[in-house]
Amino acid sequence: MSQVGAGIGIANLPNQRHKIVAKRGANFTLMVCGESGLGKTTFINTLFTTAIKTPKTYKRRYNKTAEKTVEIEIIRAELEEKQFNVKLSVIDTPGFGDYTNNRDSWMPIVDFIDDQHESYMRQEHQPKRQELSDMRVHCCLYFIRPTGHTLKPLDIEVMKRLGTRVNLIPVVAKADTMTPTDLHKFKKRILEVIAAQNIQCYTFPLESDDEASTKRNMSIMAAMPFSIIGSTEDVQTLDGRVVKGRQYSWGVAEVENEDHCDFKKLRQLLIRTHMLDLISSTEETHYETYRHAQMETRKIGEPKVKTVTNPKWKEEEEALRKRFTEQVRLEENRFRSWEQQLIAERDRLNKDLEAEHSHIKALEAELESMQVGLSPKRK
Amino acid sequence: MAHRVGRRKNVKKGFQFTLMAVGASGLGRTTFINTLCDADVVPKRECDEPEMAHIEEGIKIKPYSVEDGVKISLTVVDTPGFGDMIDNEYCFQEILGYLERQYDDILSEESRIKRNPRFRDNRVHALLYFIAPTGHSLREIDIELMKRLSPRINVIPVIGKSDTLTPSELADFKKRIMQDIEHYNIPIYNFPYDPEEDDEETVYENSELRSLLPFALIGCEEEIVVNGRKVRARQYPWGIVEVDNSQHCDFAKLRFALLSSHLQDLKEITHDYLYENYRTEKLSRSAENLAEGDSSQEDHHMRMREEQTRKEEDKLREIELKVQRELKEKQQELVAKQQQLRDIDANLVTVQ
Repeated sequence: MSQVGAGIGIANLPNQRHKIVAKRGANFTLMVCGESGLGKTTFINTLFTTAIKTPKTYKRRYNKTAEKTVEIEIIRAELEEKQFNVKLSVIDTPGFGDYTNNRDSWMPIVDFIDDQHESYMRQEHQPKRQELSDMRVHCCLYFIRPTGHTLKPLDIEVMKRLGTRVNLIPVVAKADTMTPTDLHKFKKRILEVIAAQNIQCYTFPLESDDEASTKRNMSIMAAMPFSIIGSTEDVQTLDGRVVKGRQYSWGVAEVENEDHCDFKKLRQLLIRTHMLDLISSTEETHYETYRHAQMETRKIGEPKVKTVTNPKWKEEEEALRKRFTEQVRLEENRFRSWEQQLIAERDRLNKDLEAEHSHIKALEAELESMQVGLSPKRK
Repeated sequence: MAHRVGRRKNVKKGFQFTLMAVGASGLGRTTFINTLCDADVVPKRECDEPEMAHIEEGIKIKPYSVEDGVKISLTVVDTPGFGDMIDNEYCFQEILGYLERQYDDILSEESRIKRNPRFRDNRVHALLYFIAPTGHSLREIDIELMKRLSPRINVIPVIGKSDTLTPSELADFKKRIMQDIEHYNIPIYNFPYDPEEDDEETVYENSELRSLLPFALIGCEEEIVVNGRKVRARQYPWGIVEVDNSQHCDFAKLRFALLSSHLQDLKEITHDYLYENYRTEKLSRSAENLAEGDSSQEDHHMRMREEQTRKEEDKLREIELKVQRELKEKQQELVAKQQQLRDIDANLVTVQ
């Protein structure tokens, strides 16, 4: 390869690309998953410093339906900063972990993630591929309850399933519940459980071109799982500063103070440094894994084989089947009794017929005898 | 007046009280018990191997006895494992079964022909239910549990780890919880008083405690030095939360109500109202089933069998005593005969 002389301008290609990308904007889908009351909505609003999601209203909480399901809620927003647009989608999972029986409550979430990959795959196979609606989840934040002990069995089940499908980042919610020593112990235990249970969490390449970035990356990785405090209110600290934080009667817990929580590090990861890595790893690694798994068993164009493992549906199916067999049995009984009736009827008629026959025979015999009686007289 | 006299009597005679703490793990239940008793009553939870973290352990019911110098016999029942499984339907029945078993013991003891004077009353007088400090409202498991257990025990809802909530959040949360409790008709112990009968002080005291429901609790076993004093407090980078400070949490008020002012009331309600209800229900059920010969018959049989075994034991003991007596008599006879023989020998010697 020959070195080009004074330069023909190939080095300008990244700038051209930058312009194209800047014009196109980006598309980012973030999922927040966890029990209710862990500060997910507040965190989202804190992260993007705008009210993306309205806080819960309590007026209609008594109108809960009997169906104890986990819903998928999609909130869309468009953010703009310095003329760069980001189409943000936030996926919430209300109802997860809130019921007495949470078995299989992760199914709707897992199905949703798979469905996005599926829909993208199908769109790629269409003749017209320009307008692709891409809602593949780029990152899933799993909110862990700050118990101070360890991960719950429900957490482990869900995280196992999420980790293989999406970039999973575990987060310790409401970190202002724990003192620094307790928090440290809790994080260590969570990491131990994650390692022992083979849960795949999001990792990114630490090595980078410059020292500063490498160091920053390492400190971010070391803080996993991130402890967060969320707040959209401005409060005044004891030394007069006005910050985003939570005001207690014994002090102010600040959101952006690195001694209080890891919010800054998480924001760095999600937005400032690794958003692109999240997007590209979803598109390349996770989507490819899904595609690979699907293509091994299906041909192009075939619809996905849906395994309905929803237990409620199974119960309904069973109930319907029972009803059906019951009705069939009733009908069969009816037919049988009807049949018997008909047979009885037929026998009766036969008997009558026979009776008539014998009567007629008797009369014929009489007639004959009378005829016989008459004819010899005639002779 | 009578109320205050009763209280003085308590402190002098010493008292026996059983308290149960129920709530999901991580809500500060164990720490609260230790803080309440000011001692290491319940051992800290040992986190199992990380490899075993996905195994669901069921609920366990563990009573701990606290003997204090102040003539108090306090038993605290802890319920680790509540609400930790993926499917928690089974937890309610376990706790309810435990409470009813204590009632059954009392019931059978009452109807015994020969009662045991040293029988220990293990009925639980109050249940503290720990609500998670979500800041929203009651969850399904909270409502289910309180509804199912309130017919058998005094339920007092409390908020665990309440230092998660700012003062305004805490006030809103408490209000919403009480609204939920009213909406779902959950009969909790709400410091009952009669505005006409009771004196002003009692009315004031009870209505104040009622307004604090559900109690916001913080638990802490370590002591740190604050302003030169040693206090039980939690130290955060942004401040220090004191357990005994009424501005920070309701721990002090709850402890006073539970162990001093309302202890007798809780015990009375348990005995006069809850236990009587259970007794009526159970006996009327067994009266119905007597015609059909049901499991209550078996209870009856078992009781009779117990009586029989005890009678047989008594008989055996009598026989043992008789045998020993006979043995002693025979020994004495033997000794007397030996003595006679010796006399005869002596006579023989002298004659010879």
